[in-house]
Amino acid sequence: MADHELIAQHLRALACRLPPQAVEEIADGLHETFEKYLAISGDPERAARAAIGEFGEVGLITAAFFRESPWRRAALTLLATGPLVGAAWGATLVAAHAWTWPVPLAVRMLYGTTLAVTVLALLLAARERRAYRRMRRATLAAALGLIALDVLMLIAIALLAPVPMWPMAIAIPASLIRILATLRWLPTALAR
Amino acid sequence: MRAEALKGHLDGLLLAALEEGPLHGYAVKEALCAATGGRIDLPTGTVYPALHRLERAGLIAGSWSVVAGRRRRTYRLTEAGGRALSGERAGWQEFAAAVTTALGARPWPTTS
Repeated sequence: MADHELIAQHLRALACRLPPQAVEEIADGLHETFEKYLAISGDPERAARAAIGEFGEVGLITAAFFRESPWRRAALTLLATGPLVGAAWGATLVAAHAWTWPVPLAVRMLYGTTLAVTVLALLLAARERRAYRRMRRATLAAALGLIALDVLMLIAIALLAPVPMWPMAIAIPASLIRILATLRWLPTALAR
Repeated sequence: MRAEALKGHLDGLLLAALEEGPLHGYAVKEALCAATGGRIDLPTGTVYPALHRLERAGLIAGSWSVVAGRRRRTYRLTEAGGRALSGERAGWQEFAAAVTTALGARPWPTTS
């Protein structure tokens, strides 16, 4: 696709960090820029350097893609809203004396571990600066993890809570909204 | 012109570049550069994510084709993009008029 090794190197470096379709689109533009400068200078080396200079370094391009990434935005949104939903559930569990519920220790530990892994995945996605695919995978895993945690908590409350209590009025809608928003957003994001 | 100076205006500029007809990413950047007399010349690689964001927002629509053996993504303004561009224009004109009025040269007050 590229006519000069420098261009090919630049594209290979971008391919390690960005989605294939984005790299394909950039490759077309970079090739056209290279041809423009080649027509001006007649020197492939100079034309390749000028084209890369006009496009921007790998780090600059990657940073621009990460800034605009819907996956990163989703990770930041889930990170920002997570403590609020968590606090609402915390208040609900305390009010319902959840420690007295007949839930096996293994289930409790599994829930805690899933929660910890989910938060770690969100932090990883929000801080990732090098590999788009890694950020995408981390956000996807965290989104699915949060859906599972929300659903489990809703089932637990429905089956085990003795009576309705006021913190549920915040926690249940918050979880339902998060599940629905994530399920609505995920297919669109996955399709791109 | 520095990229930071464009903060908040890049979307309108990209939409305006597509007003005349469909363009691919590099051509959008070239159109923007030409329309501003070379004063706005962004690193081309940073234009693509902005175009993708506008596409996700439904303001432009992209389609793939093959040109000279290479896959090329071309963008066109959607109806929603046209309306957004009109809004950007009106907002900018109002803002520019206000700033021009505020920064306009005034005579120095006399002291005697």
